[in-house]
Amino acid sequence: MRIDKKHSNWQLAALVTLRVLVGWHFLYEGITKLMNPFWSAASFLLESKWIFAGIFKGIAGNPSVLSVVNVLNTWGLIFIGLGLMLGCLSRIATVAGMGLILLYYASNPPFTGLYYAIPSEGNYLIVNKNLIEMAALFVLLLFPTGHIIGLDHLFHKLRSK
Amino acid sequence: MDEKMDDSRTTPKKGIERRDFIQGLATLPILGLFTLSWLNKTIHDRPKNLGKSQRAIPEDLSDINVAFLGTGEQGYIILNACLKIPGLRFKAVCDIWESYNQKRAAQVLKKYKHEMNTYLDYREMLSKEKDLDAVIIATPDFWHADHTVACLEANLHVYCEKEMSNTLEGARRMVEAARRTGKLLQIGHQRRSNPRYLHCYNNLIKNAGILGRITAVNGQWNRAVQPDIGWPKKHVIDSATLKKYGYESMNQFRNWRWYRGLGGGPIVDLGSHQIDIFNWFLETQPKSVLASGGTDYYSKDTHEWYDTVLAIYEYETKQGVVRANYQTLTTNSSEGYFENFLGDQGTLHISESANRGGVYREPTAPQWDKWVSLGYLSAPEKVTQQITTRAVLDVRETIGPDRHDIPITFNDPYHLPHLENFFNAVRGLDKLNCPHDIGYETAVTVLKVNDAVEEARRLDFDPKEFRI
Ligand SMILES: NC(=O)c1ccc[n+]([C@@H]2O[C@H](COP(=O)([O-])OP(=O)(O)OC[C@H]3O[C@@H](n4cnc5c(N)ncnc54)[C@H](O)[C@@H]3O)[C@@H](O)[C@H]2O)c1
Repeated sequence: MRIDKKHSNWQLAALVTLRVLVGWHFLYEGITKLMNPFWSAASFLLESKWIFAGIFKGIAGNPSVLSVVNVLNTWGLIFIGLGLMLGCLSRIATVAGMGLILLYYASNPPFTGLYYAIPSEGNYLIVNKNLIEMAALFVLLLFPTGHIIGLDHLFHKLRSK
Repeated sequence: MDEKMDDSRTTPKKGIERRDFIQGLATLPILGLFTLSWLNKTIHDRPKNLGKSQRAIPEDLSDINVAFLGTGEQGYIILNACLKIPGLRFKAVCDIWESYNQKRAAQVLKKYKHEMNTYLDYREMLSKEKDLDAVIIATPDFWHADHTVACLEANLHVYCEKEMSNTLEGARRMVEAARRTGKLLQIGHQRRSNPRYLHCYNNLIKNAGILGRITAVNGQWNRAVQPDIGWPKKHVIDSATLKKYGYESMNQFRNWRWYRGLGGGPIVDLGSHQIDIFNWFLETQPKSVLASGGTDYYSKDTHEWYDTVLAIYEYETKQGVVRANYQTLTTNSSEGYFENFLGDQGTLHISESANRGGVYREPTAPQWDKWVSLGYLSAPEKVTQQITTRAVLDVRETIGPDRHDIPITFNDPYHLPHLENFFNAVRGLDKLNCPHDIGYETAVTVLKVNDAVEEARRLDFDPKEFRI
């Protein structure tokens, strides 16, 4: 029996899996930052290259702005992660996730001519894992599943009752 | 929005059914899985035994009866450390220097109200003292094998100072006696119980792999020029007694370390502690050694063993080849003594000396914030400079590495935790940190340096050499 009219069960399973995996990654990134009292976005931001470097370095240089950014980033990651994993407010979580990753990408893009002091764990030209994760979220935005498999399904049912 | 309306059209049934709960909560178990994995990782990464030395002696245990065999410089230090350990009763002191070292030890023990007997000859002690449980041996190296074997055979647990023996044949007899009698034999490489070294091995190297791949090791013990050890003229031992116990003269009795057949020279005396750490931290024994040394400075008549030795070991670890060099000088004390472990992600600098040490992150290594927050390391002293212009990009060496402290201070006598470990093992509460097998491996590793100097070529180890 098909769970959902629009997708085969395999298609649905694939989409939900993708959503849960990306959610897991966000959640863990957020939690490790939350648990680490020494974590700060500063070193990442200071490494910023490309046209937005001025803005990102400015954030790193301003302690009060930086602390707000640190908190927003940490909790942003956690809520987006939970949203994707549990299918809760999944559309908002998906869009927010894309936005956050876009910021990471724009801060340190792997473009020809930009060099970073902290080596990355792989080799990237224009396309890096941030960009791919962002593309994955774009797929999830166009093929949402939270309202089929996820808490959104229950909210939806409650509302339509 | 469209899709949502779409969806409501495709599910005509109103009201929440069981099926809806299943669909709604289907991914919840994954959050549970996530939480479990996270907790598991947190527990795994948590540093082990942070800062705690083995101090878990229940108070109601019966006393251990202990004898001291050899109460010279080291024996006296050990004796004083032992006085800090509860539950020990000192019953006997044996030393051939009756009027001096033996007397000094006996006086201290009497001051602490220990009723004990004194002996000149260890055989007499072993035949007369019938309720001993353990013995601490701190005689010159060439006596270790005979003393240890006799004590083990008298059913005593033995703490024997390093070097296990000045000969491999002696060390082998000790291992065999320990196996035969089933008694405990701890060798006095006390760094093996030092909480700072334990932290570096268990947490930094083994658990966190903080150094990345270790590619090189270096260590040294440099000492300033020292005159021969003398003796108070009115406490001379008669030459018959000296002869009986293997010494030709008072000078040889006092400076036994320098004589062939009695000691092994500085490489054995000092190097064995640190080369033992090479083996421990690299989790293996070397494949080969080449060395250069000689009696370059002192008189060869009184310094039969080399006053200067430089040795290079080659190890094959699970991660790859490691080259380790060790030097001991007795003509210059520059930089004292320490061991350095150099990996592609960091450097560990450690010494037994007064909490000296530090861990340095390579500029290209991932950040260590996590290990700082877990308590593995203290916060860095100097934050890496950020490279902001392309001009300096290829000059990575301009960035100084962050320096972290090892977050454990250790202010007890150096030998105390190793002695505690021994007595806890006697009580069945702990496992020995340096049992005879490890002592033997280290003896094999170290004694070969003198052979390599002698033969002036590189010597290979057969892996079988390290086992008996
Ligand atoms: N673990 C360490 O850090 C450390 C430090 C120093 C010495 N040691 C070791 O401790 C041992 C003793 O070194 P030391 O510096 O105290 O030497 P030492 O010469 O000061 O003391 C040796 C003592 O043993 C006595 N002795 C010698 N032959 C004897 C025998 N046959 N029977 C009974 N007593 C005898 C001597 O009279 C003397 O009192 C050595 O094995 C040495 O390697 C270990």
